[in-house]
Amino acid sequence: MNEDRRQILEMLSTGKITTDEAERLLAALDKGPAASTAGEASATGTKAQPKYLRVVVQDEQGKNGRGHTQVNVRVPMQLLRAGVRLASLIPAPALVHANEAMHEQGIQLDLSQLKPENLEDLVNQLSDLTVDVDDDHTKVRVFCE
Amino acid sequence: MIPWMMLVGIRSRRDRIFRLWIPLFLLWLLLLPLVLVLLPLAFLALAVMRVNPFRAFLTGWQILAGVRGTHIEVQDENAFVLVHIF
Repeated sequence: MNEDRRQILEMLSTGKITTDEAERLLAALDKGPAASTAGEASATGTKAQPKYLRVVVQDEQGKNGRGHTQVNVRVPMQLLRAGVRLASLIPAPALVHANEAMHEQGIQLDLSQLKPENLEDLVNQLSDLTVDVDDDHTKVRVFCE
Repeated sequence: MIPWMMLVGIRSRRDRIFRLWIPLFLLWLLLLPLVLVLLPLAFLALAVMRVNPFRAFLTGWQILAGVRGTHIEVQDENAFVLVHIF
């Protein structure tokens, strides 16, 4: 018998709780581990990985004030993954120049610290990305699907 | 798997869309001898630059394979352009 169950029975025996309350507490104890296990499984469970990064632009009013423009671009995530892997192939001397150029532009990023595994995480984080821009006549949506 | 077909669609007038199917697998076949000839040179160049040639070729292959499924569609009141890679 575990400690929680013993405490509930002691509270019942001392009259601090009624039998109904004790029953409910014991039932909750029984359900507890199963519920938490299920919760952990759903939290750690692998959600479906998105396959594409989608950019949709809808302009209700064209350049000349009539008609509409639509842009629909779908980029495979696999291409993004392979693209970012290119960063890990940049030779060390070139990385120094690239870092200097980025620092001059105010971008505090050290490319030499980028490792393939980090890049993989970076692309995986894109799956939660959604950008919505609504203007009077223009809508821009960036999302993963 | 690398892309094997590309669809290019263009509409210049309101009623007619011109579709062009480009068999990329034929292009790969044509480029294969050239790639085989240039491969040792590329290997050498990458080694000089201290880049792992195997990783470089693997990444290049992954980029090529990753292009599959790309879809670009731009529509205007007067024109329509579509590019889809299979």
